[in-house]
Amino acid sequence: MKFAISATNGVTHLSIEGELDAVSVSDLRPDLEKLVKSHPTLVEVDLSSLRMVDSSGVGALVSLYKRVRAQGGSVVIKGLRDQPLAIFRLLRLDRVMLNGEARTPPTPPPAKPSKSRH
Amino acid sequence: MQVVSAVGEAFNNIVLHGYAGRKEGSIDLRIQTHRGHIQIELRDWGSGFDPTEVPAPAFDTLPESGLGLFIMQSFMEMVYRAGRPNLLTLSKRYVERPSAPRKAGGAT
Repeated sequence: MKFAISATNGVTHLSIEGELDAVSVSDLRPDLEKLVKSHPTLVEVDLSSLRMVDSSGVGALVSLYKRVRAQGGSVVIKGLRDQPLAIFRLLRLDRVMLNGEARTPPTPPPAKPSKSRH
Repeated sequence: MQVVSAVGEAFNNIVLHGYAGRKEGSIDLRIQTHRGHIQIELRDWGSGFDPTEVPAPAFDTLPESGLGLFIMQSFMEMVYRAGRPNLLTLSKRYVERPSAPRKAGGAT
């Protein structure tokens, strides 16, 4: 698991790659603690390169979400896909934490009627 | 994906709860597959628990813990027997995919 935290224009960016599980989450927790204590206004969490997450990893992200919001900030989670998205949906976190992104399986746009040749 | 998630949760549960406070412990993991059915048995010699006494997560409150057992039971059929050893059995049926056809000509 790799992660990066940066801040630009008042937005804190957190990206997590690889596997966030009961073992690797202990590497992330101290930095999440610092992040929360910095009282961020907006945290953007990029999980597009997150391959696997378990209940411990989800717990850390839920904790971040709840604590930042309790301080009056916002957390936006982006890029969830594959196994992590399935876990978020199973635990019904998509309804609350995804702000409209990936709440429901994507549906293809309605097919346009094909033009018939004359 | 579901099997990997469920077994990972089961393994971590044993390490974090069954063997809590211990420096080391053994887990015996056995995997059997047969005609679209996979069964995984995990045996441990740590503290046991009663799954029926673990409350379901209260999703409305955005729970941060107690999610592992829910993931296990959602993704696979789970049977648990506390004892010496504790035995956790996870099983699942799946649709077998036909093996990829061999290239014409074969090996030379």
